[in-house]
Amino acid sequence: MMASLWQYVLAGLVSGAIYALVAAGFVLIYQVTGIINFAQGEYVMIGAMTAASLASAGMAPVEAGALGIVAAAVVGGLSYLLAIRPARSRGATGVTLIFITLGLDVALRGLGLIIWGTNPLSLSAFSGGSSISIFGGVIQPQALWVLGADMVVFALLYIFFQRTYAGTAVRAAVASPAIASTFGIPLRTFAFWSFVAAAAIGGLGGVVIAPITSATYDMGLTFGLAGFVAAVLGGLESLPGALVGGFVLGIAEKVSGGLVSTGWEQGVGFIILVLVLLLRPQGLLGRAVRQA
Amino acid sequence: MSAALAVREITMRFGGVVALEDVSFDAEPGRVLGVMGPNGAGKTTLFNVISGVQKPTRGSVTLGATQLTGRDVAWIAGHGVTRTFQTPMMFWGLDVRESIAAALATREFGGIFPPGALRSLVPSGFGWARRRAADAALRERADELLVTMGIGAIAARPTESLSFGEERFLELARALAIEPQMLLLDEPLSGLNPDEVEIVLQTIVRARENGIGVLLVEHAVGELLSVADRVVVLDHGRKIAEGTAREVAADPIVIDAYIGDELG
Repeated sequence: MMASLWQYVLAGLVSGAIYALVAAGFVLIYQVTGIINFAQGEYVMIGAMTAASLASAGMAPVEAGALGIVAAAVVGGLSYLLAIRPARSRGATGVTLIFITLGLDVALRGLGLIIWGTNPLSLSAFSGGSSISIFGGVIQPQALWVLGADMVVFALLYIFFQRTYAGTAVRAAVASPAIASTFGIPLRTFAFWSFVAAAAIGGLGGVVIAPITSATYDMGLTFGLAGFVAAVLGGLESLPGALVGGFVLGIAEKVSGGLVSTGWEQGVGFIILVLVLLLRPQGLLGRAVRQA
Repeated sequence: MSAALAVREITMRFGGVVALEDVSFDAEPGRVLGVMGPNGAGKTTLFNVISGVQKPTRGSVTLGATQLTGRDVAWIAGHGVTRTFQTPMMFWGLDVRESIAAALATREFGGIFPPGALRSLVPSGFGWARRRAADAALRERADELLVTMGIGAIAARPTESLSFGEERFLELARALAIEPQMLLLDEPLSGLNPDEVEIVLQTIVRARENGIGVLLVEHAVGELLSVADRVVVLDHGRKIAEGTAREVAADPIVIDAYIGDELG
């Protein structure tokens, strides 16, 4: 019993790591632009499908993966330039922009269907070797790539926000956009780059998870919803929150799926989401909304 | 190097309401131009138009040869015109020194294209000598600004913990950090005690000595007249008088507008 529970936790860590990456994308874009980008999961799909199709055409997995990330980043940038910016310059706000991102999500999934069809594509693991045993539980070597990608992304985000001037300027812009612009801080440039960065991070998630789950045109829906739940769990404004939220959700899914029934795996995230919204709407690590 | 701000025939309508009508004046570098007027005269709307928060229905604003009308706030700030707001707004989550550094760094690394933008991505604290020197210079400049405002001691405090007066001082230091040519101050004295008022007035005088043009909206008429080289008076969106502090204070039309406001 304990052994299998530990195995579920390990499996949960791996999917949780991807949820954390998608959640980080939600948080980045929400912080900088105030938009909840429901197309976030599709960048995972674009990264995974691009990498898998290039690899099946003969490219080495790591190179194919790098191009997958680039493809996702480009689509992310185009998402902003073609969908968000024109709408915003015509005065769209709030709910309108959320619906635009929902439309974007459907459009990108449709694009995936047109380009790659319905058949799942596989990507070989980045490194060979047999399964690794950790305290009696077993993980595949590729899982280390997944967890490593998480660590690298969150470390880079931390360094960017805390140690660079560009990061300080972004934090200032997030805290008070109206004032930041009186310094000449270019908010629209930041908005563009937040989409590029969020999409690249999502694409990386897709690339590293593809060898484990394989890649399909509709994988973005699952990852997008899970990433959204993880982001809300973490408070939607907190990158550490996104990390914690991702792992909490991933582990909760696998443990409930393993101990109760696999049918629970899909639903447990939403039960957690409802509970969090009822009991702790600021999220696990979020701050309560301050009265101005 | 410093250029005059020319406001020409600015009209601003909101539906049927005329907030500004045909307002023109010049603001010179190294001079304080007071903007007076009863409530609802259009002072804040005027600031919004000059700083790019709102686009005027008609008219133009130029700084020297640079057309500012139609540009957004960040662009206008990048070209030397910045402002403060009636209520000072802080960057929550940043400490006092970081708030200044954000402003300084925008100036230093503000370009969207490399190399400025790329250099702003180099993390500090990794022992890179040139970066360390740049850090030290920025930090020194930030602390210098804080010391001139008399708030050098609070450099490491989170902005959430500041008193109203400290927020006002930080806001001024932040605005001065980008070395503007023209500084728009919207009621910088409101809510301050007499000692704090004195510090803000000294800061305005110092900015003028450094060649910065100051546009000052202020309800405290005595203080405004004491620092302003010239004064523009607005009433119901129109310019009703312009002149030196002495001329304006003696102008019957101005006195009338103020008394009318107090009675009405």
